[in-house]
Amino acid sequence: MSNKPKIAFFDFTSCEGCQLTVIDALQTHLGLLDLVEIVQFREAMTEKGEDYQIAFVEGSCTRKSDEDRLRQIRNQADVVVALGACAHLGGINSMKNRWTIENVQTYVYGQNGKEAYESYPARPISAVVQVDAVIPGCPIDRFEFLRIVQQMLQGRKPKLPDYPLCVECKLAENACLNTLGKPCLGPITRAGCDAICPTYGDGCEGCRGWHPEANFEHMREILRGHGLSEEDIDARFTMFNHYQMEHMGEDSPLKPEAVLSRNEALPSSDFAAPQEAD
Amino acid sequence: MSLYILPKDQLSAFVEALQASFRVVGPTQTETGYAFADIVDPEQLELDYDTTVLPPKKYFLPQREVLFNFHANALEPGTGQLEVEPVFQDVTPTVIFGVHTCDMNGIMLYDKVFAEGFRDEHYMERRDQIYVIGIECLTPCDDASFCKDMGTLTAPPIYDLHMTEVNGSYLLDTGSERGEALLLEYSEAKMAKSEDMQLLGRTLSAKWPHFRHRLKMSRDQTPSLLSLGYDAHIWEDLGERCLACGSCTNVCPTCFCFDVQDELDINMEDGERVRVWDSCQLHEFALVAGGHNFRESKASRVRHRLMRKGKYIKQVHGLLGCTGCGRCERACLVDITIPGTLNALYEEMQLEPGG
Repeated sequence: MSNKPKIAFFDFTSCEGCQLTVIDALQTHLGLLDLVEIVQFREAMTEKGEDYQIAFVEGSCTRKSDEDRLRQIRNQADVVVALGACAHLGGINSMKNRWTIENVQTYVYGQNGKEAYESYPARPISAVVQVDAVIPGCPIDRFEFLRIVQQMLQGRKPKLPDYPLCVECKLAENACLNTLGKPCLGPITRAGCDAICPTYGDGCEGCRGWHPEANFEHMREILRGHGLSEEDIDARFTMFNHYQMEHMGEDSPLKPEAVLSRNEALPSSDFAAPQEAD
Repeated sequence: MSLYILPKDQLSAFVEALQASFRVVGPTQTETGYAFADIVDPEQLELDYDTTVLPPKKYFLPQREVLFNFHANALEPGTGQLEVEPVFQDVTPTVIFGVHTCDMNGIMLYDKVFAEGFRDEHYMERRDQIYVIGIECLTPCDDASFCKDMGTLTAPPIYDLHMTEVNGSYLLDTGSERGEALLLEYSEAKMAKSEDMQLLGRTLSAKWPHFRHRLKMSRDQTPSLLSLGYDAHIWEDLGERCLACGSCTNVCPTCFCFDVQDELDINMEDGERVRVWDSCQLHEFALVAGGHNFRESKASRVRHRLMRKGKYIKQVHGLLGCTGCGRCERACLVDITIPGTLNALYEEMQLEPGG
């Protein structure tokens, strides 16, 4: 019998890319398996041990029926970690929260969607159960994952950078995309990914959530300078962070329309719903 | 000291000869501008460049610097005893080409901060191996420059060699004996003639009108202006705009504050202690045990940066903490500039006659 802490991985509404990153991290940092014992990880193994102490949960909660499973995980685990943007923020799944669920179900799954597929507004798992630690990102950064696992094993409270992405971007000596006319949310986004998207020439989309001093007003001003409409700016602010923006109340930097557009009918779907496909 | 002349077309041969014995770095073209980088092919060296995102500070004080390694004591396992091995990172004979006079003033400040009083051995080990080859600025980098105001438009006495482009040749002033030895050993430079010296004098005089003044006051006044303006209204407005992104300090040739962190290997026993660049513009910088933050508001942090640049560093080290390079202005997305701030403060302080 090993004395190593037992850990398990679970997934809710997500692409499972964060778990893939964990698998990838195991290939490059095999030593991790000397520190912990993985007892359940559907994407990587068949066994399903239920005696875990640390639960890593990927995905947002988008169905009533997800709640019980989340609570069961919470009851078993000493520590629950939100793994990646969906679990941490609601993530891109929460974009659907702009419209009524009926609209979204019909848009995505066709006329029978409401009956065929259960759904409700997407939420981070912290909206359902207490979360002890967060590993942000879409997907997560493997080095941050390893660092946070180490911090937990040392009995320390995992710590995330509380400053914006611009810090890491400057240290990498990238030319600033915002000064080159490309919209980048780096100034309001929490660092920790080594500014990987701007380093490869893509503006930050905020997948790690906002840093505590995010200056939305002046970020909006910078984005206006790129010729973006207010609607485009709201769309960028809510791509990963709709749930957060919606729950900021009067502090929300969104135009009220962006939050309250739920009753608008969606345009008809270009995607064939499963039952409509030939 | 002595003046030498090297035809421009012989620079590549000088660089190539150095590469056998040195790491050679200098300004190179990037997709969007210029950056100091390793010179692999002598043709990469672009001495006619405007500015870079980061100053050559990164060669003197790397963004991430390992100070020592630690590992569990193999003889006394389980006791928590650690063995420590000092590390001196990036200590390698290095020649930096193309350092503008503003950035040389930055290096002069590191030499005061890290080499005088408390001598930082990690800095000293690396510094001893670095040759600085400056390049005379004959035109301003761009509108953000205000080197003329800050008195950094001439080379400070820290260079090993200083180059000025004159009529298809470089005139090289030797600032140190080792600089002169380097030039004589690795290049075909010849002693300059008296007409070269006259030409140099004329070139250096002719450059001044190309540079403009941006400050409404003299740089000698900035310490007292900042003292008087400690409670000025402008700080609130700047704090409201500030993104707290730290870009201004990271790109600054005179900002050298750092944080020290321990990084563990995956085995949880070995690791390294590193120092990384830090910024007074970030919330956590002045946060102390117990949760108190000495500079909770962004306004107080912006003010602190200006105080450092225009007053505190001068008081402690005798040099202004700003070289007028303009990098913070280019990096700031909300138009917070040092000349703009000092001028606004100057205006605000004039409002009450005699006040």
